[in-house]
Amino acid sequence: MKSHYVRKLAAVLPALVLVCAGAVLLSQKVNAAGGGSITGTVKLSGTAPHMKGIDMSKDPVCSKAHDTNPAKMENVLVGSGDGLENVVLYISQGLTGNEAPSSQEPTFAQKGCMYTPHVLALNVDQKFKVTTEDQTTHNIHPLPDPTAGNIGWNKSQPPAAPPIETSWKNQEVAIPVKCNIHPWMHGWFVVVKGPYATTDDKGSYTIQNVPAGSYTVTAWQEDLGTQTAKVTVAAGSAAKADFTFKGK
Amino acid sequence: MTSPRRHFAGWLLCALFIAGALPQANALPAFARKYGLRCSACHEAWPMLNYFGQKFKDNGYQLMNDHDAPIWQNPAYWPVTFRMTPYWHRESTDKVAVDSVTGDATSAAREAQVTSHGFDLSGLDFHTGGTLDKNISFYLLPSSDPTGTFHFETVMARLDNLFGSSWLNVKLGKFELDNLVSEKRILTLTPISGVYQTYHFLPPGDANIYGQIGDNQLGIEYMGHSANDRTRVSAALLSTSDGNVNLASGTNTYTGFFAASQAFDTGKLGVQRLGFYAMVGEAPITFLTSGGVPVNGTGTGNKGFSREGFVGLFYLKKLDFLVVTQHGSDSAWFGQGFGNATNPFNGTPGGGNGGGLNCIPGTCVLPAAARAPSWNGFLLETHYVYSPQIVFIQRSEWQRVSQQAMTTNASSLGNTDMYTFGMRWYPIMTSRAGFAWHNEYSWLRTVGGSPVTGTDLTSSSLMSGFDFDF
Amino acid sequence: MPTKLLKWSWLAASAALLLAATAQAQITSYDERDRLNTDSHIGKYTGHATNAKEDYRRYCVGCHGELGDGNGEVAQWLDPKPRDFTLGIFKCRSTPTGTLPTDEDLFNTIARGLDRSNMPVWNTFTKQQRADLVAWVKHFSPRFQKEKPGTPIEIPAEPEVTPERVKAGQDVFARVQCWKCHGVEGMANGPSASTLTDDLSRPILPYNFTDGSRPKCGSTDQDIYRIFMTGLDGTPMPSFSDNIKPEEAWDLVFYLRTLQPHNTFNLKERQIAKQLGLKPVNPNAPAQ
Repeated sequence: MKSHYVRKLAAVLPALVLVCAGAVLLSQKVNAAGGGSITGTVKLSGTAPHMKGIDMSKDPVCSKAHDTNPAKMENVLVGSGDGLENVVLYISQGLTGNEAPSSQEPTFAQKGCMYTPHVLALNVDQKFKVTTEDQTTHNIHPLPDPTAGNIGWNKSQPPAAPPIETSWKNQEVAIPVKCNIHPWMHGWFVVVKGPYATTDDKGSYTIQNVPAGSYTVTAWQEDLGTQTAKVTVAAGSAAKADFTFKGK
Repeated sequence: MTSPRRHFAGWLLCALFIAGALPQANALPAFARKYGLRCSACHEAWPMLNYFGQKFKDNGYQLMNDHDAPIWQNPAYWPVTFRMTPYWHRESTDKVAVDSVTGDATSAAREAQVTSHGFDLSGLDFHTGGTLDKNISFYLLPSSDPTGTFHFETVMARLDNLFGSSWLNVKLGKFELDNLVSEKRILTLTPISGVYQTYHFLPPGDANIYGQIGDNQLGIEYMGHSANDRTRVSAALLSTSDGNVNLASGTNTYTGFFAASQAFDTGKLGVQRLGFYAMVGEAPITFLTSGGVPVNGTGTGNKGFSREGFVGLFYLKKLDFLVVTQHGSDSAWFGQGFGNATNPFNGTPGGGNGGGLNCIPGTCVLPAAARAPSWNGFLLETHYVYSPQIVFIQRSEWQRVSQQAMTTNASSLGNTDMYTFGMRWYPIMTSRAGFAWHNEYSWLRTVGGSPVTGTDLTSSSLMSGFDFDF
Repeated sequence: MPTKLLKWSWLAASAALLLAATAQAQITSYDERDRLNTDSHIGKYTGHATNAKEDYRRYCVGCHGELGDGNGEVAQWLDPKPRDFTLGIFKCRSTPTGTLPTDEDLFNTIARGLDRSNMPVWNTFTKQQRADLVAWVKHFSPRFQKEKPGTPIEIPAEPEVTPERVKAGQDVFARVQCWKCHGVEGMANGPSASTLTDDLSRPILPYNFTDGSRPKCGSTDQDIYRIFMTGLDGTPMPSFSDNIKPEEAWDLVFYLRTLQPHNTFNLKERQIAKQLGLKPVNPNAPAQ
């Protein structure tokens, strides 16, 4: 009985402290404008893993879309200069915790029975759209970790279906998404707090609007895992952080 | 307590804890293995059925999940369960007839208390049952006595849910009668308590073996029930043979058995059930003879018998109560020992162990004092289900003769009182095996039953054993 | 000697009791104390989690496990696997995809069972027992503490079956491409049927309309409506509520009935299909 009470108190105290701290921080509006940025490239060392071709023959609509440009898996995409595409970079330490979500509304498209982009980085509560351009029916089925606080769902998108507009409530790196009808289709939602960036086909990225300060940047790649780097951003200037993942 | 004793107690406790911590066994009782349910899902305490188990049985051993047919089973699945019970027991009877001079057969008989004890075995039950296809089920139970002599206790096939209706099920073969409190699922195991006295009672002099609703019988049974099994009815047409094969006894006569019950929703307490049953039959008393021995199939002069009563299953949290009443009555002829003259189990017609007399035309007459015997039985069994793994059992049965077969008999002659107390502990309770440590003490008194003096006969039985199936 | 043995058996009996008591204590050793007061409300019935503990142990624990995580002793042998209650994800709901089911949804699932799984029809329980079990099932998942159940989808009154509606239903079937998994004749043999997996990447089969089995989440017209509008969470079956309007949904229900074998409940739909001479949809037709 007594220990139970103590445990409760122990749970409540940090919460109280957090609320007080939050109130103080909230009063200083975070001003991202005029902040610096973090930039760099992500490369792959060693041989790039072979990306298998995809057999879409079960759905002629899908296979037709790739008549001239055969579809391949997209787990590890290496571009010119060994640049790694689809790596998400985000600030894992050093944030105040009350950054506003990005106001942009990106699109996660189903196109030629593939996801475009393959990896979509998002802020917590940032709205995004799921669209389809295919003449075949898809079901879009994100599978967040049920214990992490995001809730999975599973909706159909037949041809010409209207976009699904939604967002994620909690940080989660990363939420897989799949289409059960086309089992090769898989992609990722990377839900983070604060500014983030995704590498282009050369492996380069720039995280914009980073307030001056010291941070830990994390680079996440779906198959190769995560790497971190510490950077210090001065107001109005760009800090540099390069990453190299080792090919398996 | 002396110190060696203390030592022993310590070891015993230790052994018990180790037994409790053992990994769960992987042997396979047929149905639990098929469906992955624990024993406790279908059994109040194995082998007694609970409501869900009764429904499963009434559906023809089907969960009705569309995967009941054997085609869904892993080919390695073998629907067989073995059951056997090694045990220690002590039997005591206070009045056994012995020679008054030991070794002198001509000396007068006297009565002596006889007590014997030691380690022993039950018979082996070899259960196999399940579905042959969706809505066709079967059950076979070759069963042996402790010496290994086999007989077929149950052999039946059943067509379930005919025309898609749970009200139409038909089974054929040798089967347990549709008793809500079934002797084949009894939780008490001593020689005294291993059967329900109420299901076998006969007044002194009566030799009609055919009215024993505790025995499996040969026949055909219609059974119907509502989808949730709250309402159940059944009617069976049985050979008047008490389940004996080869048309060897009773011969050419039939018995009807009817049962119906209704369950009531009582909220938190679960479901309570009330029902009634009736058995009405006839059997011949006169047989043609060959060399003086009665000949099978020649019976004439059919006489009637009946058994009827109420059944209740009541649940009160961890306590449950089984109540059975029985009113039995037999023709006056049966009361005089006529009736099953060709019973092969008696060896000599008219002699021994329930064997009946042949009523030879011209010579057999009812004594003036003969009357149709009737009696009333009452059974109350209480279970305290501490957990599905520990059950305390009590049963009391009282049989009272209301009309003696002879007016000259004392009115209480043959009355019996039976009490039994036991505990079953299932140290493991999985879907794979059943194992119970069973301890029990039973006591039986028969008024005027002693062999020499005709005074009350009392016997008692104490046992401790392992009852297991896999 | 016998009296001595009697004494020992008493001693052993007490030891047995002690053992059983510790075994029971273990069930509550995980951190669930705050969730034990979970209630459920179904009509006039209020269920309390703790009241269902004994029933759960007797009937459910072999498959769903002491911790409600679907890891009971026989789970390894079962297919489909028992539900993991700790995730709070349920197939049979009246609520939109991704939301918690209502108490009534769980209440109905217990009594209905799940056809073609090992989940039996538990209609032997009283309603009170079932309500208690609903509360007990809920107490395993922290989701029920944090979230409210979804708002049940609205099902408009069932219209009269007409040939037009059956035909319109077939058009819906073709447009949203139910046949991709269920097959053009509803025989669970669509092009994607063989590769389907559930949320835990275990193979799973689509419902076969033609083999006479019951859909997992109920077989009334309302149940069928609910199944495709809410989806079966945890499985490949998505929610179609964004793409099928309520009146179209009824049309689809009527068309799906024509795929089911002859039964009294779908006599009318099957007659209409016969009159119309309905052919299975053409999977190669260009999408509309």
